[in-house]
Amino acid sequence: MPSAGKTKRKKSTRKKSELGSALDQVGDESTAAAMKEFQDLLAQAKSDTTELVRQNAKELEERLILLKKRKIDKEDFDFFIENQKRDLRVFIDSQPAQAQERAERLTLHILETAATKVVPVLLAMI
Amino acid sequence: MKPHISKNFIIRNLFLCAAAIAITSCGTATINKPRSDAQIESLRTFELAFIDEFAVPHKRFNAAAFDAKVNQGNAMFQQAIANEKFTARRPVLNDLKAQFDADAAHLRSKASRGKVTPALASEMKKDVNKIYDHALGR
Repeated sequence: MPSAGKTKRKKSTRKKSELGSALDQVGDESTAAAMKEFQDLLAQAKSDTTELVRQNAKELEERLILLKKRKIDKEDFDFFIENQKRDLRVFIDSQPAQAQERAERLTLHILETAATKVVPVLLAMI
Repeated sequence: MKPHISKNFIIRNLFLCAAAIAITSCGTATINKPRSDAQIESLRTFELAFIDEFAVPHKRFNAAAFDAKVNQGNAMFQQAIANEKFTARRPVLNDLKAQFDADAAHLRSKASRGKVTPALASEMKKDVNKIYDHALGR
């Protein structure tokens, strides 16, 4: 179903630019650098070979957009971040030790960065 | 019987016992897994129905009905964990129980203040499906 895949990619690109354009509006230099670092990390995770890493990054991005659009609040966002961490643990429990380390590094770090650096910036924009 | 023959005999029997235990364990796991999968699916159905019932925007919060449903869920999880024969699943069931506890706490907090949004309900169900899929190795 090539057309379905094409539609999905387009949607994903649209959402990425939506979040990206919001984060690009940051004026402060050090905050802008942190946002750029986050966007690079997110892009890297979204193109990772591991499905879990890609899925985690995609969900995080969608929820950041929902937060920005006020369709969920900060409490909901924090709750979903904890869910993502819990889900990662379920997945990680069934993985070999080496794969566990890699998945943790590529997912939990992005979640922490989003929660501690990106969310305050998005909330300040609302 | 010479000592070295006797020693070999004992070693051979020990090896056969170990092999038998290993084969029996694999067989038990194979038998128990479908039952365990069905149990997890049943918990998933319950949790999704729980969200459908209480994560409804503008719906008046009924604390008694909410608590009764949470108690029912707790009992289901406790029973599932106690009866789990597929030992590799026990930590996973504990993780799923932790998810249920977190869902119940968040939903209570939001629903009791009338702060449920359609996006919240939809994202909660998405997370439940995802964690259960991963628990089932999908």
